[in-house]
Amino acid sequence: MTLEVLEGGLVTTIQDGGRPDWAHLGVPPSGACDPWSLAIANLLLGNDPGAAVLEMTLVGPTLIARTSTTLGLAGADLGGRIVGGRRLAPGRSHRIEAGETITFPGDGPDRRARAYLAVPGGLDVPVVLGSRSTCLAAGFGGFDGRPLETGDLVNGRDDAAEEGAPGSPGARVSGERVWPADPDAPVGVPHLRLIPGPATGGDALVASPWRVGREADRVGLRLDGGPLPDGIAGEAVSHGVTWGAIQVPPDGRPIVLCADHQTTGGYPVVAVVISADLPILGQLRPGVDVRFVAVTREAAIGALVEQRAALVAAVAALRESVGWDELAHSAGG
Amino acid sequence: MGSADAGANGRIAAVGDAAVLLTLAERVDPELSRRAQAIAAAIDAARAEQPGLGRAVPAHASVLIPFDPLAIEIEVVTTLVGACAGRTGLGGVELEAPAPVEIPVRYGGVDGPDLADVAAIHGLRPSEIVELHAGAVYRVLFLGFAPGFAYLGGLPPGLVTPRRATPRARVPAGSVGIAGEQTGVYPLAMPGGWQLIGRTDAPLWDTARPSPALLGPGDRVRFVPVR
Repeated sequence: MTLEVLEGGLVTTIQDGGRPDWAHLGVPPSGACDPWSLAIANLLLGNDPGAAVLEMTLVGPTLIARTSTTLGLAGADLGGRIVGGRRLAPGRSHRIEAGETITFPGDGPDRRARAYLAVPGGLDVPVVLGSRSTCLAAGFGGFDGRPLETGDLVNGRDDAAEEGAPGSPGARVSGERVWPADPDAPVGVPHLRLIPGPATGGDALVASPWRVGREADRVGLRLDGGPLPDGIAGEAVSHGVTWGAIQVPPDGRPIVLCADHQTTGGYPVVAVVISADLPILGQLRPGVDVRFVAVTREAAIGALVEQRAALVAAVAALRESVGWDELAHSAGG
Repeated sequence: MGSADAGANGRIAAVGDAAVLLTLAERVDPELSRRAQAIAAAIDAARAEQPGLGRAVPAHASVLIPFDPLAIEIEVVTTLVGACAGRTGLGGVELEAPAPVEIPVRYGGVDGPDLADVAAIHGLRPSEIVELHAGAVYRVLFLGFAPGFAYLGGLPPGLVTPRRATPRARVPAGSVGIAGEQTGVYPLAMPGGWQLIGRTDAPLWDTARPSPALLGPGDRVRFVPVR
């Protein structure tokens, strides 16, 4: 399976489940900013939920399929379509014939930021520090450590199945299918649940509405709004920080850390977005209004358990509805 | 956050639902960073027995411990971190001190465009700045900011210099700089506001190596002038 890049799009990178275990050397976790949609795009093809995919941002790429294949699409609707042909809706897989051009112009009504395109078996790039994700800050991983550009050739890892080797270990599902639940269930609304602390000020964040500022990328998002009461913003002795941490620098404009965040930070962390809502964080685009809701640790864990259960149930329903195993055996045939 | 120390074994606080932060104190102190490294090492040693425990991230005077909240209870993490902190008391930490890592540096000229400015700020000749900088042995306090970027403690007081008023859009990889009480080497080309006094060809960051960072927490470092 090969896709040739005609236009790279705004920031199209290869991302997977990331490399969380290298923060002690200053390496950001990387990985898909919206891990929920990463999983759906992959599971639609029978891939591992954390396999390497294309992450596109606001304006996606234009790609020509060098071979016929099936692609899994999830996350924001960036107006995806086959040039001269049908629409490519997220939350389902799509059969693409060799020679067809697909494009994601970002002209849809969706106010979310990122879409995920999976290929059978995941994308074929070298594993660096345990992950195929692109680390833009340090220029390694993914496709030469950079966003996709015109002329790049992106290959899938599952050529055997595509070339029709029934029953081969890597055989995947090649039929089109629709995610059997609401693919946007956990990522549809820009309400972020947070746990206040460890520094004081988290409650003040909850009290007022915020808007995502212009500085919003894979590293983090600046928020406009407030103002926050005195005594919250400031500087602290640098310490390790996490994805979802909300820092308040001296200028009082909160920074919410995303997948490519620096591993240590010197601003007070007044609250942290719960793990179950990191996918929503990854879908915020500049200009979008955001509200925070404070929850307990128990509620945060409950939301995560619920999210995992929904994923498992949907995968079971997907297999049931289409005779998954049978199809897996005859993939490519 | 108060400025008081947090007791002998520090203070443990939840950071969201998937990490805890052990804070030893709210100050920069090389002894505390060594203790944070020792505690992080003890926590990492327990990972084999504790599925779901993430890799610890030591800093100036703290250790961040990420974990998978569906695989391990926060109470288990907190107890383990407390035990590791208790075992590595102040003064009880004597890490091995292997020979310093030597980093060859071309000082001044195009490699160190701010050397003359730094010398002027301190009323010294550029050669005296080089002598001071290369005469000290530094210790890696922790890594952060960028992959492979080591915060080095031990800058001679006579070299403490404010950052440049205007940061550069692109600092070449290998640049050796000073900012306040810190000195360090840019592992990658990136924007930066440090005063650049030299440059090294030593590969600070190379993902082809088993351990991609040349400098690790606790390492001692010496800069060696070369032409």
